[in-house]
Amino acid sequence: MNKAFADIDPVYIDYAQKYLGRFMPITREELIDLLQYCEMRKFDKRVVIVREGEIDNYLNLVVKGLVRKYLPVRKNEVILQLATEGHVVQSEISYLTKTPSMVVLETLEPTILVSLTYDKMEEALDRFPKGERLGRMILSGMFIKKDENRYNRLSKSTRERFFEYIDHHQHMLQRVPQKYLASYLQMKPETFSRLKALLSKRGK
Amino acid sequence: MLEYVRQFISQHIELTEEEFQTLASKLQPVSFDKKTKLVDIGEVSTTFYFVLKGISRRYFYRGKQEVITHLIKEGGMMGSVISFLTGEPSRYILETIEPVTAFALSKQDLEGLFLSGKKWEKFGRKIITAFFLQVEYHALDNIRYSTRERFINFMKQNPDLVLRVPQKYLASYLEIQPETFSRLKHLMVKEK
Repeated sequence: MNKAFADIDPVYIDYAQKYLGRFMPITREELIDLLQYCEMRKFDKRVVIVREGEIDNYLNLVVKGLVRKYLPVRKNEVILQLATEGHVVQSEISYLTKTPSMVVLETLEPTILVSLTYDKMEEALDRFPKGERLGRMILSGMFIKKDENRYNRLSKSTRERFFEYIDHHQHMLQRVPQKYLASYLQMKPETFSRLKALLSKRGK
Repeated sequence: MLEYVRQFISQHIELTEEEFQTLASKLQPVSFDKKTKLVDIGEVSTTFYFVLKGISRRYFYRGKQEVITHLIKEGGMMGSVISFLTGEPSRYILETIEPVTAFALSKQDLEGLFLSGKKWEKFGRKIITAFFLQVEYHALDNIRYSTRERFINFMKQNPDLVLRVPQKYLASYLEIQPETFSRLKHLMVKEK
């Protein structure tokens, strides 16, 4: 196995298997082969991984920690994603088109990523018998998810977005500052606090 | 007309003449009147189109309000793509604005191609990547640009659509209130 993965925690490999298993059945052996193309990258908390204007050369699977992706808008930041264990995070347009990134990626916790460069991805997809199929399924999955997010953003009320998110991501209230969650859910911090107060009432 | 498709595909992936002929043999020429619903909400979409002529829109309803997420013109690809990929009922309506002519590709034929070799899987990936990028650019632009900037950018990049698409549709696509859109129209004259 790739030296970087020699003493990797098996839990991290489970995340990779679970992620890829969403698209097609994949054996442990196949997965280990695929990991040869990847790098393991470790970051402290509060490290900027991709800057605005920089080309993002990596597709990253978070196996530990938390990464936020945001779009700088004038003097503000709009959070587009809060990626935790098992999530894929990157500056997609930059990676796919090799153009300067519009978005910024920053760790919020100490983070470990399993990362794949664009060229290594093309190589892996080409060499593996089922590789191109897997590549197509992953891209479809990313596209479906993207469309879903956009649909939710445009079709649901602030309140609906809040409760749906919190119901599925209870742990994020502990891991992420409220102002980030509010930005991600496209609401004012005050609105977020007000809805959070309702949450404790609802819980009782 | 096939040349149009060849040109379009070549932006995304290189096909040999033989491969292109295989693809071409699966394409059905179709034409639709204006205001024809090609996919309705709740239907499972099984067709994908390469548009040769005419404009269409993809939208959903928020309450009674139409929210337009796509405008597709000649040279573009369209479908209720999520439903097409997942086999689940469509959340969107795909409807022509003008009379449309296109080449249709069925899901069955496309999946047949995927099974016939890796090159076609890659073809699928590149086409989906193109859709993905389009959605992502549109989403980021709608966040990072002000209403006024979105209006001006769109007018510059799509002068043809401005003449051909009803204003209320353009406003919805750009996430601009119709009243604001009317107010911004004076900028079109100034920009010239």
